Amino acid sequence: MHILEGERVTKYFGGLAAVSEVSFQVDPGEVVGLIGPNGAGKTTLFNLISASLVPNSGVIRFKGKNITGMAPYHICRMGIGRTFQTVKIFPNLSVMENVRIGALFGCGGRISATEATRKAEELLEFVGLPQVSSTPAGSLTFANQKKLEVARALATQPEVLLLDEIMAGLNQTEIGQAMELVNRIRQSGVTIVMIEHVMKAIMNICDRIMVLHHGRKIAEGTPSEIAKSETVIEIYLGEANAAG
Amino acid sequence: MLTSILDVLIAGLLLGGLYALIAMGLSLQYGVARVFNISHGEFIMLGGMATLTLFTVFKINPLIAIVICGPITFVLGYIIHRTFFRHLLTSLPIFGEITILCTLFLWTVFRILADYNYVRLNQFAALAICLVIAIILDFALNRTAFRRIHESRVAAGVFESTSMLFSFGLMFIIKNIAFIGWGPSIRSYSFLQQPVSIAGALFGMNRLVTLGFSILIGLAFYFFLTRTRIGKAIRAAASDPTVAQLMGVNINQVLALCFGLGAAMAGIAGVLISMCYPVNANMGIEYTIIAIIVVALGGLGSIPGSFIGGFALGIIGSIVSFFEPGLALVAYYFIFGLLLLIRPKGILGK
Repeated sequence: MHILEGERVTKYFGGLAAVSEVSFQVDPGEVVGLIGPNGAGKTTLFNLISASLVPNSGVIRFKGKNITGMAPYHICRMGIGRTFQTVKIFPNLSVMENVRIGALFGCGGRISATEATRKAEELLEFVGLPQVSSTPAGSLTFANQKKLEVARALATQPEVLLLDEIMAGLNQTEIGQAMELVNRIRQSGVTIVMIEHVMKAIMNICDRIMVLHHGRKIAEGTPSEIAKSETVIEIYLGEANAAG
Repeated sequence: MLTSILDVLIAGLLLGGLYALIAMGLSLQYGVARVFNISHGEFIMLGGMATLTLFTVFKINPLIAIVICGPITFVLGYIIHRTFFRHLLTSLPIFGEITILCTLFLWTVFRILADYNYVRLNQFAALAICLVIAIILDFALNRTAFRRIHESRVAAGVFESTSMLFSFGLMFIIKNIAFIGWGPSIRSYSFLQQPVSIAGALFGMNRLVTLGFSILIGLAFYFFLTRTRIGKAIRAAASDPTVAQLMGVNINQVLALCFGLGAAMAGIAGVLISMCYPVNANMGIEYTIIAIIVVALGGLGSIPGSFIGGFALGIIGSIVSFFEPGLALVAYYFIFGLLLLIRPKGILGK
């Protein structure tokens, strides 16, 4: 059974179809990459899965259960965690509090405060932020804010983690660390769907890649298949190469 | 001279405690629930009038009235948010709304028809029939057409303006119901009025009790926000409601809770006010204005700011009253105007 699947998912903004009849399947344990030019509808698709937005038509299923139209907090508790393209931490709360909020409210059951703290410490260690837990999250460096977002999303105990451009704006060293982090998350048994513009990361980490363009899915396959695909090179890689 | 300075300062603190409590309630409603609640003062009035009735008619100690009025205003606020404001947050009709509108429509049609003698039926019987049809229609629509429409949230700015307008209406509704129940007369009762001497100045025991409770509730609320689960959810929701719900926070519940807590603080403030000052059904708006000024002074949405702002305004009011009692409210407006010109974000505003 697919852990996450979409069936002809469509979302309009005014008259414009941001996501148009996109169907997808994600199997447990996979890392699926989602690529496409800016404005292709990648983040919109994430918003539809995490229920920040509601599709105009189509069905989204999680572990076989129809989750279309459920409240966002409910979906989070069922086991879909996410990070955001533009970093959205709680800037006034401490680093620790940020992660604890994910732990306290995001996982299905009720967990105690001490357990939440223990888990938050563990996750900060896991993403590589152990020394900064009491500083306000807003004062972290950009790369560390991105790590914090990952830790907060992991604190909700997701079975599927949606990573929205966690490597954008990072330097080469930081990209290396982020790739290693994604690999470790996958080894812990979490299924990952990631939007990414960093080709090196996408090609190395993902088992499968989906390509969106103008809200439609135009290609899907293994990294090597995608790299060879004429259409993809034309609309996406060509553009990326031209941009340097 | 020294005694009178102390006298004025302590009087200012006593007044400031009340202002702080009122403003914290509004700050919570505006800072987290995004409702600029014009009807805030009406909850104060309800607390005050209810305490007066409890004391004069049922001989219930006003200090006990705190534990009666607090929870009742909380539940009232919670329900108002869960129904009306919840509806303003989303663009979806709620169950009951169609019933009301449809009943009124059908009944109006009936009365027009009856005027021209097309139907002959007692108008109350007709109302009952209209109501039954409307309920069936409402139920059917909720079960079919609206079932699959997820509530889509309106933009934050839209909600702020619609909720403010709604709270305006709520103010008139609560006030006029109070007029029907309690009448327009200004009333007071005497409670704990024996004088206590502080540094040579004499103050009523009731004023000190008021200050004590304001500080106690302020501190309790601070610990509630920083130490408890729900407090964390409230702070996350205040920081970013969209992200908070994606992290598993049940946002509608948290917002309703904040609105209810704000209403409860107003209700308790009303109880405390009634111990020291005369109350009447028309008193709400004055306190709403003071609350708005204090919240602006302290910084929109900042709870500690409201606390500090409340005491600051209380001391200013007390100093002005020392020279000319009638000018206190004028001074508040003056400060409000000055503040908007010089530091619009308030003392602790971000």
